[in-house]
Parts: sequence; structure tokens; C-alpha cells
Amino acid sequence: MSDADEGSETPPETPADDEDVDAEPETFPSPRRAYTESEVIMSTVRVVTPFVLTFGLYITFHGADSPGGGFQGGALVGVVVLMLAFAFGIDPTRRWLGTKAVTLVASLGLLVFATIGLGSVVLGGAFLEYGLYPLEDAAKYGIEAVEIGGIALIVAGVIMGLFFLTAAGPGGDVE
Amino acid sequence: MMEYVAYALVVFVVLTGIATALLRDVLAAIIVFAAYSLGMALLYTLLLAPDVGLTEAVIGAGVTTILLLLTIVKTVRPGGERTIERFDSRAAVACGALAVVFGLTLPDLPAVGDPNSPILSYDAVTGHYLTQSYAETGVENTVTAVLAAYRGFDTFGEATVVFAAGVAVLVVLQREVFT
Amino acid sequence: MIELLATRWAYAAFILLMVTGIYMMIANANLVKKVIGLNLFQSAVFLFFIASAYVADGSVPIVHSEGGGGPYVSPLPHVIVLTAIVVGVSLTAVALALIVRIYGEYGTLDEAVLREVSDD
Repeated sequence: MSDADEGSETPPETPADDEDVDAEPETFPSPRRAYTESEVIMSTVRVVTPFVLTFGLYITFHGADSPGGGFQGGALVGVVVLMLAFAFGIDPTRRWLGTKAVTLVASLGLLVFATIGLGSVVLGGAFLEYGLYPLEDAAKYGIEAVEIGGIALIVAGVIMGLFFLTAAGPGGDVE
Repeated sequence: MMEYVAYALVVFVVLTGIATALLRDVLAAIIVFAAYSLGMALLYTLLLAPDVGLTEAVIGAGVTTILLLLTIVKTVRPGGERTIERFDSRAAVACGALAVVFGLTLPDLPAVGDPNSPILSYDAVTGHYLTQSYAETGVENTVTAVLAAYRGFDTFGEATVVFAAGVAVLVVLQREVFT
Repeated sequence: MIELLATRWAYAAFILLMVTGIYMMIANANLVKKVIGLNLFQSAVFLFFIASAYVADGSVPIVHSEGGGGPYVSPLPHVIVLTAIVVGVSLTAVALALIVRIYGEYGTLDEAVLREVSDD
């Protein structure tokens, strides 16, 4: 996924676009501490992010037996990446994510949901009729798969994508 | 006891809603709107809807506020001297007439929490979902069962709308990749 | 009158907030505040749905496997509101992207100025 001829992941570029020089240039003799926008945000995000991620995954996986489900958990997982973008800067987080990850997550979610739904049409029944799948307790497994593998992935991917798109502004030939 | 908490929350929500309408500075309106969303999330939880409260807290008070703040970073935050927005009397008269028309229907609505209201006493729909959902689907959360099994086609439509919104923002902003 | 408001407090709050949202959409000239008014209006409607499903002294609609339990709150309006919240944020995101694009083209977010400029 990275450039084939360079060993580092972030291609060295001039730090003229913003003040977040997060990569360590090889010309400096000693490693510098990364410049952060705000100490308060960085310390808070470092402490809070693992808990928010765990809570989001917990809510997604336990959506069948307690309040929660795919929407809430997927939104929380998407918001974790947003918090990292607040702390470390939007452009370094964008470089870390790469161009394909967000698209892959969102498209995979929709594909899983459509496959599970239309699979039962192929098997001769109605849309999303779980009883036709040859598992016992097919309804429970089907609901869990749709919630975790479908809805949560779509919501997480689209929330991340909307954030980075709105932060980037208009592209193309708009000056 | 719980009614007093509910009344206090309703007063807080209505006050922040009116404050959002009256403040002139866009940044101040966005911040008060975030407080309004949090109050609404608490009110939903108090009305025994924890799924909806969680969703409103994350998406209303979280993602919508972030997107609004990003928009005024990317565009402009209009400066000015006044604190309170200019009052438009024609719009206020029209909205007041609408409020009076809706308010005339208030005596015909059932009381909040009435167990004999038509939604709750119709056993063929609500009663069926409440009593049969564990036997038919195996999940205990009836909201998840209705969302993913009984009304799964609506959820599929909504997932498609979310994805389509992502693609629409790509098209509007003339970009090719999300990040 | 007072006990009418005391028993139907959620519906009275719904009317006030909905009218405030509509007022923001009509009267404010800034485009971003119109979008905020739209969101205010939407969450007022969600309050109406949730309040119509509420049972006093009821319990959350999580039915344990043994069955039974007190009167449950109706789950159907919750499903509708869940879907509507997520669709609402999608709508807001596309509206804000359009606003960013409009600002790039015209340089202003004031509705009156935009109306004059686009009539030329």
C-alpha cells in the first residue's frame, strides 16, 4: 500500500501546509517530540480513546441482549478515529488511514448486508428471511451478522469519510 | 420524583432550543445546540428509550456538532456586534399561528404514559412483538429484533441512504477518495 | 389548563421546539443556522414519537427469556426514531457539503445576498 521504493510510510514533504510535522525527518540528528496542537487534548485523547473503543465494540456485540446495536456501536468506533484526528492533526491521521481503508469498510458493510438479505431471495424465499439458511438458530446468527458486519461497518466508515471530506473542503478544479 | 427530573429536563431543553434560535453568533448557536442535543438524549433515556438516547447522544451531540464546526471552519463565521438575532415579526406570527393550530389538538391526545393509549393497547402489533420476539428470533432486545428481523427491509434502505450520503458528499465536493 | 399541560407535557414541548425550528429555518438568514433549525425540528418530532410510546411505571423493552415482566414500552416508535436519527445526520452532512461548495462559489453565506447574486 505504501510507495514501493521508500521504506517509510509517509513520503517526506515540506512542512509548509500545516504546522503538524509528525514524521521524524532523517536530517535531524536527534528524534524530536512531535508538535501537538494542544496538550490538554492530547493527554485526554490518550487516556480516553481505549475506553471509548472498548465501549463501542461492547455495545455493538451485545446489541442483541441489552440496549445498543449496530448504529450506536458503529458511530462510537467511527468517533474514535475522529478523536485521534483531533489530537494528532487531521493530515497525519489522513496519511495514516490511507486512501482505501475507509472506502473498504463502508463498502464491505453494505455488501455483507445485501448478501445476507438477497441470499434468502436466491434460496427461494422473501428478502431477509432468516429461516431459509441451513443453520439452527438462523435468525439469531443472521441478526448478529447483519448488525455487526453490516450496519456497524457502514455507519463507522461513512462517519469517518464524512469527517475527512468536510475537513478537506472542495477539491477538483475549484480554486 | 422522576416527574420532577423530567420537568426540569423539559424546561432545560426548551430554554436551550429558544437560545439557539435567538443567538446571533453561529459558533455560540452550535455550542448551545450541542447542549440541547445532550438534554434531548437524557430526556429520551428518561422516557425509557435507552437505544434512542445512546444514538442521539453519539450522533446528535457528537457527529452533527463536529460537522457543523468543520463547516464554519471551512467557510466563514460572520462577525458582528449584537448578541441577539434580529426578530422577524412576520415569521414569528406565522409560527405562532402554527403553534396555536397544533395546540388545539392537545386535549385530544392521550396523556403521556397512559397505558390505554391506542399504540399500546393494540395487541395484534405491539403485543405480538413484545410476546413473540424471543420465541421467533432468539434475541431479547425487542428493538433489535424489530430493526433487523421484522422490519429489516427498512433498515436496509436506511443503510443504503447512509452510504448514498457518503457518495453524495464525494460528488458535491468533487473528490475521488474519502480520505 | 395547568393539568392539561401537566399530563401532556411532552407534546407541549414538542410544539414549542418544532415551532422554534421552523422559525429558525424561515427567519435566520445564515445558511448554517437554517440547517441547525432543521435539526431542531427533527429532534422535536422524535420527542413526539418517543413520548407516545411511553408507559408510566413501565420498563425498557428488553424481554427476558423467561417472559413476563411489567408493562413494556412499545418498541415500534423507537425503531422509527433510530432510523430517522441516522437518516437525519446523513441529510445534515450533504446539506453542509453543499454550503461549503456555495461558499466557494459565491463567497457569502447570507441568504439575501445569495438571492440577489443568483438573480443576475
